[in-house]
Amino acid sequence: MRDIITPIASIAASLVVVGILLAAIGINPLEAYAVMFTSSFTSKFGLAELCVKTTPLIFTGLAVAIPLKAGLWNIGAEGQLYMGAFAASVVALYSNLPGYAMLPAMFLIAAIFGMGWAAIPAVLRAKFDLNEILSTLLLNYVAIYWVEYMVYGPMRGKEVYNFPYTDLFPDIATLPRFFGTRFHLGFFIAIIIAIAIYYLVNKTDFGFSLRVVGANPRAADYAGISRQKVIIYSMLLGGMFAGIAGMIEVSGIQLRLRPLISTGYGYAGIPVALLASGDPLLVIVSAALFGFLYVGGSVLQTTYSVPVAIVYVFQSLIVLFIIAGQSLRRRG
Amino acid sequence: MVDPNFIASLLASSIRAGTPLLYATLGEIITERSGVLNLGLEGIMITGAFTGFAISLATGNPWLGVLCGGIAGMLLALVHAFFSITLKANQSITGLMLVLLGLGITGFLGRNYIGEVAYYLDLIKIPVLSDLPYLGEVLFSHDPLAYLAVILAALLWFILFKTRYGLEIIAAGEKPEAADSMGVDVDRVRYISTLFGGFLVGIGGAYLSLAYAKLWTEGMTAGRGWISLALVIFSGWMPQRAIFGAYLFGGLDVLSFKLQAIGVGISYHFMKMLPYVVTILVLLVSVIRKRAAFGAPTALGTPYVRGKKE
Repeated sequence: MRDIITPIASIAASLVVVGILLAAIGINPLEAYAVMFTSSFTSKFGLAELCVKTTPLIFTGLAVAIPLKAGLWNIGAEGQLYMGAFAASVVALYSNLPGYAMLPAMFLIAAIFGMGWAAIPAVLRAKFDLNEILSTLLLNYVAIYWVEYMVYGPMRGKEVYNFPYTDLFPDIATLPRFFGTRFHLGFFIAIIIAIAIYYLVNKTDFGFSLRVVGANPRAADYAGISRQKVIIYSMLLGGMFAGIAGMIEVSGIQLRLRPLISTGYGYAGIPVALLASGDPLLVIVSAALFGFLYVGGSVLQTTYSVPVAIVYVFQSLIVLFIIAGQSLRRRG
Repeated sequence: MVDPNFIASLLASSIRAGTPLLYATLGEIITERSGVLNLGLEGIMITGAFTGFAISLATGNPWLGVLCGGIAGMLLALVHAFFSITLKANQSITGLMLVLLGLGITGFLGRNYIGEVAYYLDLIKIPVLSDLPYLGEVLFSHDPLAYLAVILAALLWFILFKTRYGLEIIAAGEKPEAADSMGVDVDRVRYISTLFGGFLVGIGGAYLSLAYAKLWTEGMTAGRGWISLALVIFSGWMPQRAIFGAYLFGGLDVLSFKLQAIGVGISYHFMKMLPYVVTILVLLVSVIRKRAAFGAPTALGTPYVRGKKE
């Protein structure tokens, strides 16, 4: 039986709290929410931006959801995303691959780097029982400063004056865009992967062991499922999605590597996954909801000069309310 | 090369840089000793830093700012206490959400305060002693909160290990069932410890904006909350040892800055990375050595449910 009341009530409660905050700085919350809504849904550009923001969130949502099936918290999607973006950028700028091989190579290397970055906390957890929440989180900062170092130093472009950017990618290293907007191929890739993962989780042996380890570790031992293996694989898979998100973001939107390629997409993956209760197809839906918050957040910034940090407040509140709801139901 | 003046000023600034870490570490030690793991230090500190700054600016009284910074920290800790003690939810995730919440709210409310000048804590030069060569600068020329932090560490050591109330805190963190059967109200002890801990962490944040950096910027805690979390482990959950750890890490912070200034070629970005790498290493060492031998409260992070046998 699926609990749909908790997520909906959580969203509503968060809207109320953020509304109070908006009112506190003298903005009519209803008006602000209306502006958020119309700007996202009533124009071609609004809808395109909605998809643009939803795309990385589908990936990071999966990056959190899959390890969570095995009972692991991957807080490191942000860092894995940066590592994927970094690796893809190196290929885009320095590899001189022919056009047909460029994007696939970027995709592959980003997946590998995301996985590699997730492998560190995965192994530490499986071998030493080191709390993966802390290790994945701390590694985010390391990855972000690594990218910063690269774009301020070795990878800084020749045509960027003094900005900390790389040069623009060659055209063959960018994802095709449509309708004269920023809407790009990455959106479809995200949807296809989410569907594929739905099958992986629900119809394969690996998916089964994933669910058993998450639901009842002791039962997994009896069933002869290696917990360590599942821990490592689920985390690697999560890191892979986040790494791909990084590649899609640099080759679809930024078209170069720079600091702050992600505005917390990795962290947003947590509420996305929780809201979808880990179901890969529902991840698409909840990613769209958070995509809407992102678009709405930046509209609020331009219309009312409300800092985008409000999006973080939303995210944390939704998670807290969901957790509260789940605890109350469990006890209730 | 080794100029005593340089050393003295380095040590003096290590103490100033270490003081916010010391408050946060002491706060978290008290929280964790009672069995509650609060990962939200970064968010609580930044909230304390902002609240302290805003109140000092509004009232002209930095001390009121410090107090309100502590209270703001306590309020966030209350959220954590409610989730982890009353709702018995996953403490790690709740703590983490406090980080997002703290950074989000202060980023949201704090934008108009960037570049403002508030009232700050003055230094107290202890008469006679502060005139001692070198030593005077290092030890006796600080603001009152820096002195207070050391006194507090000693006081907390005394409370934890020499009083009945300290025994109750430790019992709640080590063996909550046993504490319960001795008549200790475990939830109550944990609530009080978590709130008091949040208060200290908030003060650490207020110290940052009102005494150390003397300004407000978004995200100004810059990882200090995470470092404090590592310092708790580093000090083996002992308040008196936290003093040493906090000043050491404060010193590293200052040193990297000074080396930068005199042009030693270590990348700024790698220096920023360092605290996180060190924190992971400290954690790793602490789990490789046995948990109990290392001094972590046995029931750390586990909700206590009366009558439930694990």
